[in-house]
Amino acid sequence: MIQKEAERIFETRELNVNMGPQHPATHGVLRLVLDIDGETIVKVTPYVGYLHRGIEKLGENLSYFQALPLTDRMDYVSAMSNNIGYCVAVEKLFGIDPPMRAKFIRTIVGEMSRIANHLLWLATHALDIGAMTVFLYCFREREWILDLFEMICGARLTVTYPRVGGVRNDVPQAFLDSLWKFTEEFPSRILEYETLIDQNRIWLQRTVGIGVISAEEAVNWGMTGPTLRGSGVPYDVRKHMPYDAYDQVEFDVPIGTAGDTYDRYRCRMLEMRQSNSIIRQCIEKLPPGPVMADDPKFVLPPKDKMLPITQPTDMAYFIIEKACKGCGMCLRACPAKAISGEKKKAHKIDQSQCLQCSTCFTTCKFKALTVVPGGKGLSDEKLAELAVAPDKLPDDIKEAQQNLTRQFDFIKKGPKVPEGEIYVATEVPKGELGFYFVSDGSGKPYRMRVRAPSFVHAGCLPRLCVGHLVADVIAAIGTIDIVLGECDR
Amino acid sequence: MRDWNAIAKAIVKRFTFIEILKGMALTLRRMFSHAVTIQYPKERRPIAPGFRGQHALAKRQGEAKCVGCGLCAAICPSQCISIGRAKGKVTKYEIEVLRCIYCGFCVEACPYGAIALTENYEYSAYRKEDLILKRERLLESWDKYMPGTKGEEYFKKFWRPMSDDFGTPPGQATFRGKQQ
Repeated sequence: MIQKEAERIFETRELNVNMGPQHPATHGVLRLVLDIDGETIVKVTPYVGYLHRGIEKLGENLSYFQALPLTDRMDYVSAMSNNIGYCVAVEKLFGIDPPMRAKFIRTIVGEMSRIANHLLWLATHALDIGAMTVFLYCFREREWILDLFEMICGARLTVTYPRVGGVRNDVPQAFLDSLWKFTEEFPSRILEYETLIDQNRIWLQRTVGIGVISAEEAVNWGMTGPTLRGSGVPYDVRKHMPYDAYDQVEFDVPIGTAGDTYDRYRCRMLEMRQSNSIIRQCIEKLPPGPVMADDPKFVLPPKDKMLPITQPTDMAYFIIEKACKGCGMCLRACPAKAISGEKKKAHKIDQSQCLQCSTCFTTCKFKALTVVPGGKGLSDEKLAELAVAPDKLPDDIKEAQQNLTRQFDFIKKGPKVPEGEIYVATEVPKGELGFYFVSDGSGKPYRMRVRAPSFVHAGCLPRLCVGHLVADVIAAIGTIDIVLGECDR
Repeated sequence: MRDWNAIAKAIVKRFTFIEILKGMALTLRRMFSHAVTIQYPKERRPIAPGFRGQHALAKRQGEAKCVGCGLCAAICPSQCISIGRAKGKVTKYEIEVLRCIYCGFCVEACPYGAIALTENYEYSAYRKEDLILKRERLLESWDKYMPGTKGEEYFKKFWRPMSDDFGTPPGQATFRGKQQ
């Protein structure tokens, strides 16, 4: 009787603790509901979606070209890798092959992004566990890489540098020189980080034997990337399904044995060394050549061969009365509403209203709209005298006109894409990033789906945490390297 | 059979704090080297050319190059550009920089070379209206941040793709050996 009473009074219950969404160690807005028995974790329930921006849905409303900056905002720590993943997937859907130089440049920037990501991971992981100094050291090198990104594309974090069919612009010589210097110095910097934590007894106590997962289980949970390789599974998309220039460089896939937090840390440290070596090989092998695929259907035409640049601005647009069928295409397209005319009768451009934007020029299908070089400010009668049909214009103007039409079509309608569906995976620093597209033949994807490694890894958290202490949850969050921007998309 | 050597090593390691002392020595050495941080408002880091900052409308011989065709507004992923036209003139050209994501697609879409992203990144304001850049302000910032031939060079380098990108231009960057 007394014993029962005592049990009622001193009843032990599991305590329910909310960790996040605003917690400095949850790497963003991850919310974990922990059921704890004393200090021991009994159950972990991750809640995601606090950073949901609907990137997949947004992708359905933007053309393949336009949706590229969205992928920067998924895994903002390694934006370059996401861009590359997106571009590789769309290129496969389009069936185009970027030139070799572009592939090598992409491989270089992709590996730079991997180093930058692992540096930030190491910095924050160590900071969470309690080693503040490493954080500052890692950011010193990350800053160097971000400066190099700024040099090639003008942005440090959300780069939008690769393009479908190549890269935005060629790399300058100063970039390659500085990067070479970086690769020479970087291995010694890695040694510095390792001096600080590799054998440190506090670090070992916090990481060895924490979050152990066997190889079989890791595969079953869908882990990818260094998180999986820490358990000893040598799976790497770069090795098994090479994209870009990964089949032309030599590198090892470092794997762990125990599958604990410490082994995953070792994997990432070794991976940084491999990335460094890949960058060096790529710089040495960087071939000369174009950086954009010359496929008129899917890439923007060259700017210096376009009508407004090849021709001085004193041209005028004119509708040849005989050829005009009065379809109204130009009338509807004109942004300045300078074109007037009834249906099935010849239309007319009011020259005082015309902006000379050439929108009408790119819409006309009956060869009625033409350009009169040097015709600005002339009267309609004079223009009618000077005007010649667009297919009888000089060759250079005709080519420039075709390029301009391509530019307008590409941007307003998007490229015509083959129908079908495709899934393409790339190895981003977090793991396997997959893009799945369903194309209905229009300029926009019918469905865009992203297989984000962070999302899968967030789901593994309960498996890694249960049975450990509350403080080890922090180590487990750090070791799977999640970015909630990618997880929630 | 016990490896007494290894055990002795482990004991020494355990009681001499050798790995912690190594780390401490590294941090101590850092005390005497230059600081890598900069004191922002007083010091500023150099900005690489082609930085994607505040927008500017390009001018040719004092006149705005923009004709108002609307391609920049069509390609903008965040739809932050609005254009108004009347009587053969562009009357309204507004960029809502609060929504802009600085991808630089407007520069790429423009067939006229009329819009550029300048190196200015310090234009915070207290009111929302100040962050909707009007046409006049955009033209002003061209004079301010792209003086002389800077604007021309910007377009030469960062207004892409050019026909160079589809061919092999002379002077492409290559690996220059280990002495660099």
